[in-house]
Amino acid sequence: MSTCKLELVSLAKEYADGNVIAVDGINLQVEAGETIALLGSSGCGKSTTLNMIVGLETPSSGDILVDGTSIVGLPAGKRDVGLVFQDYAVFTSMSVRKNLAFGLEVRGKGRAEVDRAVAEVAELLGMSDRLDARAKDLGGSELQRVAIGRTLVTKPSILLLDEPLSNLETAARMAMRNELRRLQSEIGLTIIYVTHDQVEAFSLADRIAVMDAGKILHVEKSAVICDKPSHTFVAGFLGFPPMNLLRGRFEGAGNAAGFNNGAFTLPVPETPALPKGICTMGIRPQALHLAPEGGAAMTGTVVLLEPRGPESVLTVNIGPTKLKALVPSDVRLSEGQKVGLNLDYETVLFFDSEKNRSMDFQLNAGRCA
Amino acid sequence: MRIVRPGGLSNAAIARLFTLPGQVVSLLVLVMPLLVALYMSFTDWSPTHGSLFDASFVSFENYSELLVWDTRFTYAVVRTLLISIVCLCLEFTFGLGLAVLFLRKFRGKSLLFSAFLTPMMILPVVVGYIFWMLFQSNGPINQILEFLFGPQAALEWFRSAPTAIFAVILTEVWHWTPLFFLILLSGLNSIPENPIRAAIILGASPRQVFWRVVMPMLKPVITVAFVIRAMEIIKLFDEVFMLTRGGPGSSTETISLYIYKLAFNDFQLAYGAAAAFLVLLGSLMLVHLLLAPVRDQLLEGNR
Amino acid sequence: MLTKNLSPLQAVLMFAALVVVLFPVFWILMTAIKPPTDWNASPAIWFPSEPTLVNFKTLFDPDALGEYGVGGVSQPATKAVFGSILATFVATALSVTIGLFSAIGISRYGNGSKATPLVILSGRMFPPAAIAVPFVIIFSNIGLIDSYVGLICIYVAVTLPFSTWMIKSFVDDLPREIEEAAMIDGRSKLMAHLTVTIPLIKGGLFATTMFIFILNWSEFMFALVLSYTSVSTIPVQLAKYVTATAGTLYGVQAALAVLAMVPLVIVGYLIQSHLARGMTFGAIKQ
Repeated sequence: MSTCKLELVSLAKEYADGNVIAVDGINLQVEAGETIALLGSSGCGKSTTLNMIVGLETPSSGDILVDGTSIVGLPAGKRDVGLVFQDYAVFTSMSVRKNLAFGLEVRGKGRAEVDRAVAEVAELLGMSDRLDARAKDLGGSELQRVAIGRTLVTKPSILLLDEPLSNLETAARMAMRNELRRLQSEIGLTIIYVTHDQVEAFSLADRIAVMDAGKILHVEKSAVICDKPSHTFVAGFLGFPPMNLLRGRFEGAGNAAGFNNGAFTLPVPETPALPKGICTMGIRPQALHLAPEGGAAMTGTVVLLEPRGPESVLTVNIGPTKLKALVPSDVRLSEGQKVGLNLDYETVLFFDSEKNRSMDFQLNAGRCA
Repeated sequence: MRIVRPGGLSNAAIARLFTLPGQVVSLLVLVMPLLVALYMSFTDWSPTHGSLFDASFVSFENYSELLVWDTRFTYAVVRTLLISIVCLCLEFTFGLGLAVLFLRKFRGKSLLFSAFLTPMMILPVVVGYIFWMLFQSNGPINQILEFLFGPQAALEWFRSAPTAIFAVILTEVWHWTPLFFLILLSGLNSIPENPIRAAIILGASPRQVFWRVVMPMLKPVITVAFVIRAMEIIKLFDEVFMLTRGGPGSSTETISLYIYKLAFNDFQLAYGAAAAFLVLLGSLMLVHLLLAPVRDQLLEGNR
Repeated sequence: MLTKNLSPLQAVLMFAALVVVLFPVFWILMTAIKPPTDWNASPAIWFPSEPTLVNFKTLFDPDALGEYGVGGVSQPATKAVFGSILATFVATALSVTIGLFSAIGISRYGNGSKATPLVILSGRMFPPAAIAVPFVIIFSNIGLIDSYVGLICIYVAVTLPFSTWMIKSFVDDLPREIEEAAMIDGRSKLMAHLTVTIPLIKGGLFATTMFIFILNWSEFMFALVLSYTSVSTIPVQLAKYVTATAGTLYGVQAALAVLAMVPLVIVGYLIQSHLARGMTFGAIKQ
């Protein structure tokens, strides 16, 4: 893996003498020029991971390699890694210019060099006319720019962003998202960024690493990860709405085969070598379609219909089980109404019941008898 | 929100009602005496001259005497200012140093915190008395000096001007450094951590982080501490009264002590009143100078 | 994560500072329990040869004091302790009560003008000497000199800015909606404040009371110039002892000093978390 810009090797962080495990041995390879998102809910260990990469915290075990060399022993500030904080942490007592110059000034760089670098970055961020403004007078997205610019001035080879957009209002967020994408392509930085917002992750990252409880569960190209999650947590976390997960087992065989989840049995098309024992079935909401009640694979009661632009999210109760489906928004349904549902069997995923990992198994396409 | 009820009082009326007692007290006990004193300062009255109304009006004579001829007054003013400046700088330095140490982790922190606050909880007169005792020629300070530097190192602290002033300053610094410590520590603790982290990541050394990032953020708190202490130390009286009574000669005499002596030892009440008014005017100007940078923080910061 | 442990050098510095801070306190406590033979020993005795409480007894015993009798020393401290307690307690209660109403008035019904606080703040900076001169003259004309009434009046006036401003900072912290709910209930505004506002700032009122207590108990100059024979306070008595006997009465003086400082130190520790607020007129909240 010599092309790796950054590599995390079994990286772990424990607090309170091992009683609290914040990061539980994660492995991650980031290639040069790539943007990767660490996606997870708060407390999943993503910020601790960032802090370890940047040097604010020392790993309990494991290693961090940049260009193949370990940086664990280096103090923060000598790692060639930049971090932009969620609250920006701009030096409010200084002007924008002083903020941008800070990283070079503390390194004792000459005046001319500092001025040139500051001007360059200000130009890049479109803040050339705001250089003499006081940082405390700046608005949200301007602060964000200063925070990024302050880091870029020191020309880090890796840029870490902690929830970069979450403190911005919607309009500013859109603008900043475009801005980040532009920076990414213009400077070719390696960017790792932490977020709890999938939209942000999908729109900015080349790859997404989903974290939960200190572990990275799945790293995949953002275009793929939603359709082919490798873990039930990822399946139940990504997507709008996320995948329906049904726990149950296959019964019968051939024409009479079905998936019994306790509440009902879903007939499945003839498929050889059905998995034995309990497993979890993952059905994307896009794969469920409304069908006439008779002859549908499942029938249930409408609980809720949430319009969402061109599509609506339909929640259907089949016994105690809730399923969410995406339906065209012109469908008229009322609460309590009986509906039938069919599904695209070939897109259904299966996860083993012990490790919650995806299984190498697919149903045949087609309708069941 | 306004609640209008028939027969109810308007907000302005309630405001007046609530603040009335305070205003009456201030008027009777602060403003009225000041007016009397103001009148008196233009007369040549002294207690032996009978009623104040019989005293003859001397216009600005007291004031010109004070400002032009009374070098003791001028010296007292300059001395008070110098002592104040030296004390404040020392108190700030020590207080900041201690506050920075308290950012570290160590055991028994809260106990030590209380211990370090102890001096400011002791009343000034007692502080003056304690140090008067410590500085006696057979007191422990001389004992320690003799132990360290031999028998000739002992000093008669209150017999020469420089050592007496040193004793006053040391007492004052011991007494009030804890206040700086308290204010600066609470300021340091309320500084957000992320800018500090950002500075570290940007490659700043601990020293650079402190001077370039922490200190600028601490500036408002530092200013408040200085203003508050300046307002108090300019009135310096109790400790000096106990330590030296202004001596030897008048070499440790502060403004307050001088006015006290004028009025209550020499019974030159009119002259003393004039001095008091000059000091008052000076104090007012100083207050406004001092308050300018923190006015909003001190007043609006309450909201 | 940014906090590091104390380095050995820093630990040494901290220890040295602690010694400097505590030594004077140690000295006064030790002196207060020294037997008379140890008082003025040369070289000074650090630990009393026989710790004793006799100094505290002598303090209140005119006959015992008479043995050292120079000038005012023969006067026992009984009256001073009584005077301090009386003046401090009454003045503190009055100051906090009046300050409470002023604080509610300014905080809830004030027009937000900046003049009020500026006047209050400026009032704190007047040198007491400047106010003491006219006081003595007026009080001697209306017979309030050398009386507790006069002393209490001054104490209240001088501490009122502190109590008002400190309580105001606590009332400001309280959301108005709480009182307004009570007002809509049909109670009068005064009742709303009595039954809602005041109970809610109990903690703040306690801290303020203690703080004003500290100020009054410590006061020296006004007591010095307004007291002759019938009125006395501990600080004045202490000053008298020191004048009259320059250097022979250490034990008794120290005993009185300890009596004066012990309540303050206890109260000070009690309201430790509010000290900064009190001292800075609420500009620093912690």
